[in-house]
Amino acid sequence: MGVILTVSKKQSSLLKLVSFRAANTVIVFVVLMLVFTFFTRNRVFLSSRNMGLLSKLAPDLGIIALGIGILMICGEFDLSVASIVAVCAYVFVLLLKGGTSLFLIAIITLGLGAALGLLNGLITVKGGIPSFIATLGMMMFWRGILYVSSRMWPIGIRAYLPAGTSFEQIFVGRMGGVIPAQAVWFVGLAAILGVLLHFHKFGNWVYATGDNREAARAMGINTDWVKIGCFMIVGILCAFVAILQLLRLGSFCCTQGQGFELKAIAASVVGGTFLTGGIGSVVGIFLGALTIQIMENGLILMGIPVFGIGAFIGLAIILFVILNSYVERKRIS
Amino acid sequence: MKADSIGESRGVLVKMVNIHKWFGKVHALKGVDFEVKHSEIVGLVGDNGAGKSTLIKVLSGVYLAEEGEIFFEGRRANITSPGDARKLGIETVYQEQALAPNMSISRNIFMGREPTKALGFMDKKAMDKASMEALRNIRLDVASPDLLITVLSGGQRQGVAIARVLHFEAKLVIMDEPTIALSIKEAHQVLEFIKQLREENISVIFITHNLYHVFPVAERFVILGSGEKIADVEKKDTSIDHLTELIVREPSRL
Ligand SMILES: Nc1ncnc2c1ncn2[C@@H]1O[C@H](COP(=O)(O)OP(=O)(O)OP(=O)(O)O)[C@@H](O)[C@H]1O
Ligand SMILES: [Mg+2]
Repeated sequence: MGVILTVSKKQSSLLKLVSFRAANTVIVFVVLMLVFTFFTRNRVFLSSRNMGLLSKLAPDLGIIALGIGILMICGEFDLSVASIVAVCAYVFVLLLKGGTSLFLIAIITLGLGAALGLLNGLITVKGGIPSFIATLGMMMFWRGILYVSSRMWPIGIRAYLPAGTSFEQIFVGRMGGVIPAQAVWFVGLAAILGVLLHFHKFGNWVYATGDNREAARAMGINTDWVKIGCFMIVGILCAFVAILQLLRLGSFCCTQGQGFELKAIAASVVGGTFLTGGIGSVVGIFLGALTIQIMENGLILMGIPVFGIGAFIGLAIILFVILNSYVERKRIS
Repeated sequence: MKADSIGESRGVLVKMVNIHKWFGKVHALKGVDFEVKHSEIVGLVGDNGAGKSTLIKVLSGVYLAEEGEIFFEGRRANITSPGDARKLGIETVYQEQALAPNMSISRNIFMGREPTKALGFMDKKAMDKASMEALRNIRLDVASPDLLITVLSGGQRQGVAIARVLHFEAKLVIMDEPTIALSIKEAHQVLEFIKQLREENISVIFITHNLYHVFPVAERFVILGSGEKIADVEKKDTSIDHLTELIVREPSRL
């Protein structure tokens, strides 16, 4: 007779609950919302003006964080995101000045983002070096190129792009006259990437690659191309954010995007993504990105000096990782 | 005497002839002949560095032999990659388990070979159902195909790896030290899984240093020593002591 091994039903439902790692993020998110609602003067945090502002600004980092989170799940980093955003914005502006049609410009810009992601991926995978180093190099390289070729002059787009075109409406208009298009894009992209990551076989390969690369390889998954694919997703999302920012701000500036690289990693980590790869979810990353930005916004409204905000966010990240690894240890034992 | 042995009446599944393999100046395999019959469990034993892993890596397409031929079901097989071996129905359960610890059982079983509906979306229901079926076939009872690998014991993990090869209808399963680093109880579970494979008419090559593990389940033993085949004996013609003696007595390399 064979041996019958049983893992009890009770144990399994408990495990499911705990293994829903985004649970931590949800709790912290809700707590922050409540704290800021009750501790800002006149509940200004929840005012329609502040919420409108948040839903217009938060998607910039949020969309990039979605890509970074997925990339981290497959076991890699990208420090060059902010530079990719700026390069894409610059090329967009140049093409706009040259009189190319808007939708063609958008496609070229997104394609450029994909190409820059591809380059990051190829350097990392084929060069056999850590992506941390590869993208650190690319971050400095592209920013430098940009400084030189733009001569650090800001470029306004209003001279070439009259306000209120349908192109602009699509990216930064207001849906139903109320909801900023950026927020709709953020939610929409999160939904698409969530479905891709959790239900498509590519998503399965992403997790497998990050969790046990040797196993994934032995089972016939081309882990190199899975990684390169993730780098390209990040690149495309960066190009998308470049367009959003450009249309919202009305001008290109060569320091555009700076600071996003680390904030995007912070957002993913707060969302329950592990630096070691293999663990994370789109829901978590989505909430992580919102949490970081709500924290920033709420603290400012509570009267904390703007330059001191970083201290709070820094502490919050550390506490979060401690919480996550604590839960992880509980889960295994 | 030969006629009553089941082994002799069965056809040969795989036959390796005069296999040579060099690693630079190291002659790891020196003209080894090796065969496995249909639904036969063969114990492949020998001292450290004898060439056991190298031999099965040639069979599973990880290494290419410099000389020698492989026949599968009577036909000459040209195995140049793990994919080629897999297509023939040769699956390997690795010494280092090829499982992703933070993924579910069913996602692990179908890793890289996910059944899909339209546009590459996974057919989760089919995955779960087939996973549970494969696990039941080797008598590994788990509550849900959604359990993560990390929560399973070492024996259960090895069971998942074995269920995976079972589902993909392997004809020959190669196991390199499947009981290493397992507790006595877990090792016993794995031995039961191996017996189940034979019930499914699957042939097994079982590599181990532990004769007490392999002796009860295998029908035949092949001993390698310094890249050569020292002995090839049916279970009825040998004992654990006899095998130990053969391994120890191996002529030392000159
Ligand atoms: N990739 C390699 N490169 C160089 N030499 C190798 C390689 N793999 C094996 N060898 C050598 O080939 C010989 C046979 O090794 P192999 O791993 O097949 O032995 P084994 O019987 O599996 O031993 P063990 O029981 O320790 O796993 C050894 O001398 C080993 O050092
Ligand atoms: Mg070995």
